[in-house]
Amino acid sequence: MTTQVLTKSEIGLNGDAVATLSQQKQEPTWFTDLRHRAWRFFEEIPWPTGNEEEWRRTRLTGLDIADYKLASGTPEASSDAADLVPYLRDELDSINAAAALVTEDGTVRYRGVDAGLAAKGVIFTDLDTAIRQHPELIQTYFMTNNVAVDANKFTALHAAFVTGGAVLYVPRNVQVELPFHGVTAVSGGVADFAHTLIIAEENSQVTYVDDLISQDSNATFHSGVVEIFAGPGAVVRYMHGQDWNTNTWHFSTQQAQMLRDAQLTWILSSWGSRLSKINLEMQLLERGGHGELLGLYFPSGRQHIDHHTMQNHFADNCTSDLLFKGALRDRARSVYSGSIKVWPAAQKTDAYQKNNNLVLDRRARADSIPGLEIEADDVRCTHGATVSKIEPEYLFYLMARSLTKFQAEQMIVTGFFEEVLNRVPVEGVRNKLEQVIARKIHM
Amino acid sequence: MTSELVIQNLHVTVNDGEKEVLKGVNLTIRQDEIHALMGPNGSGKSTLAYAIMGHPHYTVTEGDILLDGESVLEMEPNERARKGLFLAFQYPVAVPGVSMANFLRTAVSNVRGYTDQQPTSEDGRPGVIGSNLMPMRDFRRELLDKMDEYHVDRDFAKRYLNEGFSGGEKKRVEILQMAMLQPKIAIMDETDSGLDIDALRVVSDGVNKLAGTGLGILLITHYQRILEYVKPDYVHVFYNGRIVRSGGAEVAHELEARGYQSVREEFGEPELVTA
Ligand SMILES: Nc1ncnc2c1ncn2[C@@H]1O[C@H](COP(=O)(O)OP(=O)(O)OP(=O)(O)O)[C@@H](O)[C@H]1O
Ligand SMILES: [Mg+2]
Repeated sequence: MTTQVLTKSEIGLNGDAVATLSQQKQEPTWFTDLRHRAWRFFEEIPWPTGNEEEWRRTRLTGLDIADYKLASGTPEASSDAADLVPYLRDELDSINAAAALVTEDGTVRYRGVDAGLAAKGVIFTDLDTAIRQHPELIQTYFMTNNVAVDANKFTALHAAFVTGGAVLYVPRNVQVELPFHGVTAVSGGVADFAHTLIIAEENSQVTYVDDLISQDSNATFHSGVVEIFAGPGAVVRYMHGQDWNTNTWHFSTQQAQMLRDAQLTWILSSWGSRLSKINLEMQLLERGGHGELLGLYFPSGRQHIDHHTMQNHFADNCTSDLLFKGALRDRARSVYSGSIKVWPAAQKTDAYQKNNNLVLDRRARADSIPGLEIEADDVRCTHGATVSKIEPEYLFYLMARSLTKFQAEQMIVTGFFEEVLNRVPVEGVRNKLEQVIARKIHM
Repeated sequence: MTSELVIQNLHVTVNDGEKEVLKGVNLTIRQDEIHALMGPNGSGKSTLAYAIMGHPHYTVTEGDILLDGESVLEMEPNERARKGLFLAFQYPVAVPGVSMANFLRTAVSNVRGYTDQQPTSEDGRPGVIGSNLMPMRDFRRELLDKMDEYHVDRDFAKRYLNEGFSGGEKKRVEILQMAMLQPKIAIMDETDSGLDIDALRVVSDGVNKLAGTGLGILLITHYQRILEYVKPDYVHVFYNGRIVRSGGAEVAHELEARGYQSVREEFGEPELVTA
């Protein structure tokens, strides 16, 4: 086994760094231009003041991006998993995948792709390689129609410094049974800008498992973007597992666009980070789309997790089904705000949104703000939010059968998440989620 | 040694002492004895059951509950369960997302000492679900056998505890849990209510079988019906927070024939009784 030493750059997040980074990567002009444009947006968009509705409950006190440096390092991919350091290998082994891509501090550490996939026209590679080998794909899809470069301050910063991440392209009618697995690992002091781009063409079927993990317990900064395109009749399953250490700043903007009869199962879990601000939007652009959006979170200590979701119905006869469940311990806070938007043309929309919170300690606090914006008349939209404590009668029943208070609470909390867990289609992901929940309870 | 549960002059209040529900209960239950407890609605039977098990809403203000000479009043419900007390609930609660098998495996592992055998993690807490428990294969085999024995469909193992179970199914599952946990003294709070005749037979057979293996039972019931299948050694009449009459099976027959009228005449309406 070879030991890899990561070299940390001294390049901060500034305008000069954009040029330096692009040069280092020997990128084509069009991509350098995109970075510069993004940097200008970043400079133009003000930092949130806390007065904006979106930022009223989530303050960035303590964040100084000058504390974080760009990752550097030359790509040295291996296709032998045995070369990986143990924590990366464990992560890789957790999912039985068709293909995997492991990135550490923006550098590809491992790439393993089933040979048959390329023959079918499947492209699965890191962003740098995709820019060089498949420019037309990146020019068409990378932060163009889906997540806009200037969607917010963090997407602009992301586009200016994007490194690492993965691009997956699945051609028409190609169905891949096993998941693709992307692992993004980051070490202390590094600013990470991983990007996940998934393009599933007409009638294709694909599953993607995206895992974010920390190399150590030191503070890092992540500003990520996920873009999903589901073509007509495509079936896409995307599972995003954020399991950073609790000193990390996490900003993530994710958007999925769905065409006629596309089906999307989108599962997001937020475990780590000091503070998370996550924006998710599902766009049902053509008739017959069906989207399922599931979320789990379990902040502890003083973690702060903020999810904002948007189920955006542009077309008729689409359904969307959202369920976010969170448990909170210690002095943790969570914010969930969600919106279902139904445009005038989106008749026969069936949209559902539910957020349940289980508050385990007196000083933990969950805010839940559901919302509806409906401009069509023939629709069915329901939403609901609850914030509750552990039901004392559950506790007594379990304890009367010999469970200790701790065991009983553990069962009740795991049971609370079960409603989401039993909808997770990949066994490896499900197991991992169960383990994290147990770990959070034991912390 | 024969275990015994001794209830001495037990006074219990609910609602932070606002209301005294038990007003001096005396009762001794030994292993292998079946005691039937009958009494009108609201007389305090479930309160007695909860107080024995240590429900936090019920406060013992006077008297004691002793298991084999040791007071259980300071014990948490789970410690009482581990000492061999069991309560079959009048209304078993459904716990969302908790599978019956998963829960019962932990419970059985506690009661049988599996969870003590291995060291706990550094912070003194027991291990993650699945570690530190009775081996899965052994547990499964035993559970499935018992499910067959108590006519509980095997599918119930995977189902969430009491969620969507019918009234009768819940009661049968309570008996199944009792059979798995093998307590010394069981309080069965109206386990016979809401059962069809087949289920009643299953439950009574279970009670009889377990009673023969060293179980002492307090059978709280409204109906003579179950006493045709389960032969109590003692029958007690509970009224207004205490036992007012005790005897053999004839007490139950008398109640069946005359209702609580004679009890009321003798002891007065509850409101008229001064505490
Ligand atoms: N947690 C509680 N809070 C307030 N009052 C209570 C509580 N538990 C019991 N009580 C009151 O105590 C009295 C006795 O109730 P309990 O449930 O023990 O009666 P029971 O004999 O089991 O009745 P039933 O035959 O209907 O089951 C009732 O008046 C009831 O309202
Ligand atoms: Mg009762």
